[in-house]
Amino acid sequence: MSYALIVSEVRRGVFEERNLDSIGLGALLGKETVLLAPDGAYEINEKLVDTVVKVKSAEDVYLNPMNMGKILEQVFGARGKPDYILFTQSSSGTEAAAYTAGLYGFPVITDVSAYDKEAGVFLKSYYSDKVFGQFKASGGPAVLTVRSGSFREFAGEKAAAAKAETMEGAPAVDSRTFVEYVEEEKSDIDITKAEFLLSIGRGIGNQDEVASYEELAGVLRAVLSGSRPVIDKLWLPKARQVGTSGKTVKPKVYLAMGISGAFQHIAGMKDSDCIIAVNKDAEAPIFQYAHYGIIGDIHKVRDKLKEIAKA
Amino acid sequence: MNILVFTKRVAATQEEELRITGEGQAVDLSKVPFKVNDWDNYSVEEAVRIVEKQGGAVTAISIGDAESDEVLRRAIAMGAKDGFLIDSGQVLHDPFARSELIRSFIDKEKVPFDIIFTGVQSEDDQFGAVGGILGAIMGLPYSSMVVGIDSVEKDHVVVRRELEGGLQERVKIATPCVLSIQSGINEPRYVSIMGIRKASKVERKVFKAADYAAGTAKIEVVKWVYPAKKGGATMLAGELADVCGQLLGILKEKGVCQ
Amino acid sequence: MAEQSATRVLTCIQCGKCTGSCPESGKTPFNVRMLVRKKQFQSVVDEALPWYCTSCGACTIRCPRDVKPSEVIIELRSKLVEDGDIPVAIQKALENTFVQKNPWGRSRNKRADWVQKLDFEVPHVSETQSKRLLFVCCIQAYDPRCMVIPVNVARLFQAGGMEFGILGEEEACCGNEIRRIGESGLFEELQEENLAAFQEYGVKEIVALSPHCMNVLKKEYGDNTGIKVSHYTELLAPMIKSGALSLPGSFEKKVIYHDPCFLGKQNNVFDEPRDMLKAVPGLELLEFSRSREVSLCCEGGGGRMFFEVEATYQRNAEVRVLDAVEKGAEIIATACPFCVMTLEDPATEKGLVVKELSEILTEVL
Repeated sequence: MSYALIVSEVRRGVFEERNLDSIGLGALLGKETVLLAPDGAYEINEKLVDTVVKVKSAEDVYLNPMNMGKILEQVFGARGKPDYILFTQSSSGTEAAAYTAGLYGFPVITDVSAYDKEAGVFLKSYYSDKVFGQFKASGGPAVLTVRSGSFREFAGEKAAAAKAETMEGAPAVDSRTFVEYVEEEKSDIDITKAEFLLSIGRGIGNQDEVASYEELAGVLRAVLSGSRPVIDKLWLPKARQVGTSGKTVKPKVYLAMGISGAFQHIAGMKDSDCIIAVNKDAEAPIFQYAHYGIIGDIHKVRDKLKEIAKA
Repeated sequence: MNILVFTKRVAATQEEELRITGEGQAVDLSKVPFKVNDWDNYSVEEAVRIVEKQGGAVTAISIGDAESDEVLRRAIAMGAKDGFLIDSGQVLHDPFARSELIRSFIDKEKVPFDIIFTGVQSEDDQFGAVGGILGAIMGLPYSSMVVGIDSVEKDHVVVRRELEGGLQERVKIATPCVLSIQSGINEPRYVSIMGIRKASKVERKVFKAADYAAGTAKIEVVKWVYPAKKGGATMLAGELADVCGQLLGILKEKGVCQ
Repeated sequence: MAEQSATRVLTCIQCGKCTGSCPESGKTPFNVRMLVRKKQFQSVVDEALPWYCTSCGACTIRCPRDVKPSEVIIELRSKLVEDGDIPVAIQKALENTFVQKNPWGRSRNKRADWVQKLDFEVPHVSETQSKRLLFVCCIQAYDPRCMVIPVNVARLFQAGGMEFGILGEEEACCGNEIRRIGESGLFEELQEENLAAFQEYGVKEIVALSPHCMNVLKKEYGDNTGIKVSHYTELLAPMIKSGALSLPGSFEKKVIYHDPCFLGKQNNVFDEPRDMLKAVPGLELLEFSRSREVSLCCEGGGGRMFFEVEATYQRNAEVRVLDAVEKGAEIIATACPFCVMTLEDPATEKGLVVKELSEILTEVL
């Protein structure tokens, strides 16, 4: 039987929005779509797929890649092997996808952002989106992780609600166990609640510049945030990080200075109402997502903005 | 505690404009400088810190061409005891093929270990899959996105995994295991050129990839393409003061600035 | 090497002339005499301290016992570099230089992009008769503010009929700051790479744009290169004097000249920049009270361009600007990209303009 298995991601009782991209790609592949989900009381729009299989496993058991291997064994036993297995491109999705591929000897392509149906190839980013490889898989169901934001427009409602099925969970392994969630250190500023974010990136060059951008944020009444390199270097606290490994933000205005626009960053801010990017590099990917752009020296723009805004 | 750390020499493409050759056959890297993969730098540092505290040895392993010896010398300068190069001649795009090669190498050479570290991903292909596949095919427990190692015990480790939205989860993993290390887990030390020169005196063993079972590639690149151009931004142009004035105008219009 | 320097340290009589001349003493926790003392006794040095030094060289010039305190600082830094325990910003600058041959980590392939701003071709040095190399170096090649320096000097040379060529992408960072940061291994690599290029293309003469590059190329690349090294002002001043380069325009401004440490006190080029300014029609040249040998360091050297020290104090660049205001200057002229970068911020605040010498000359060309 020919189908695409969508391994959905549910965390802390929330059916993650990025599952819509897996569902969208599933629809694009033109196969029956079977959505796998753990036990729990959360909302799924059941018109989006053909079948929903709820596994009687606790969420943390389900999210453990080693348990997922066992759960999939049961799915394959019941329905045969699928043509595709789709995971989310996320911390847990990528982890489980790679482990599953290894367990069953399936081909794996991660971070899939486009599909060419005619050629039957999947687009995967190389070198931070500077080029893409068109990939073909062979020798078993292709395990794919699906880039968030890439396919959700293809997740259309069907006429009828999905067939609902349940499945016994697998016994949990003890070689890897969930202990607890850890909230990152509380900070008084919540960048997800800000209306106006001034975000700085690698392009500021140097830690000494941070203070001056802080000052600009003060003048403009913006909240200062940053991209991963800035956080990794400890130039700003982790709570200020925008991106997939930080916060997802949707301010009214997102002013990005010196951020080239790595996908992980874009994913965390692309839904902002208005994105303004300032970068010295006209080719910086962020200009593809920005509503307004300025090509130039960010320090000069900073100083001039301060000067005009203060006057 | 014996830790194997994988380290890769990658093209430093951040500042470069990449060119695809021919009809999409290859990406031209001939004029691009190379460096150690950022994630691997964090991995090596983390492994060295554990060993410095608890004893044991770090072995750095690189798959690549002869030039990859550079990242092994670097790892040794940071504190790794040994460096092994698995000379593969060409790039293995398929993470499965890479993982198979690693398993075969570790088995055949009987390389002892308690933990295997990989970077979460490499800067070039961004696959992020080798660690997971390796864990599965070696029958070892696995965790990716490790941003903190809270404790290293005789038979297990407790680590923190980075999730989305600033959340982390703490998990307990039995050893031996495979961990993929996320950037930012530590502040890697500076490796001086003198340090690398001294490290050069430590012999690095070279193994031929062909001597190990690599498995057949399960995926292949059909063609390389440039990213599709999206709509793009409205560019503000003119004199600096003028451009900044326009920008402030937009901020006012959006109601975030008086 | 280590033994030699230990001997030098032991000759120190703790007279304190070094600290007396140091632009950082008094206002920051940095006390160079104390650090020499600690080096003598091999005692522990707070690891933040050596990074205050701007490598201006005043201490070494003033030292009566040839202790070379500024070199002692480099040795202290070397130890920190070897231990891998250095400020992150410095670490980044070193790693960038290792990969891309410039501290900013910009693409080496774009090192000659500045020539696109010219309306004439600049040949590779191997294609010149004179084998005269214009050594551009990092900040001039990449920083949008400092890129005007090679562009202007190229125009001036062209106008004055001075043949020159460049190495383009084959040029690597000169390593002056890298050596002063204490990364001697990386410095040696840069030196070897540049020397190999000089040799391959038969370079006979090098004209450096930055005094920092000139200093290292002239004094630290070894005596056996047989290559004459000068700062571009040393070529332009005679060209103006002989009439080879005429300056028909006029520049009716009060200009005060700031001596860069690496050009002035460390290499005794004091007059050429002044001669050039005096030759500019309409220009009124002013002098700082502290000028020439005792010129106040702008704090842009010794790695300070790449990171900020922790202490908060009134920066020398600001002091310098206030002095310029007091003298009634409208423009601060200097001949070093680092000085331009450090002075410009406080100058703009006080309504003064900072110009690199080549900018003024190009305006009257």
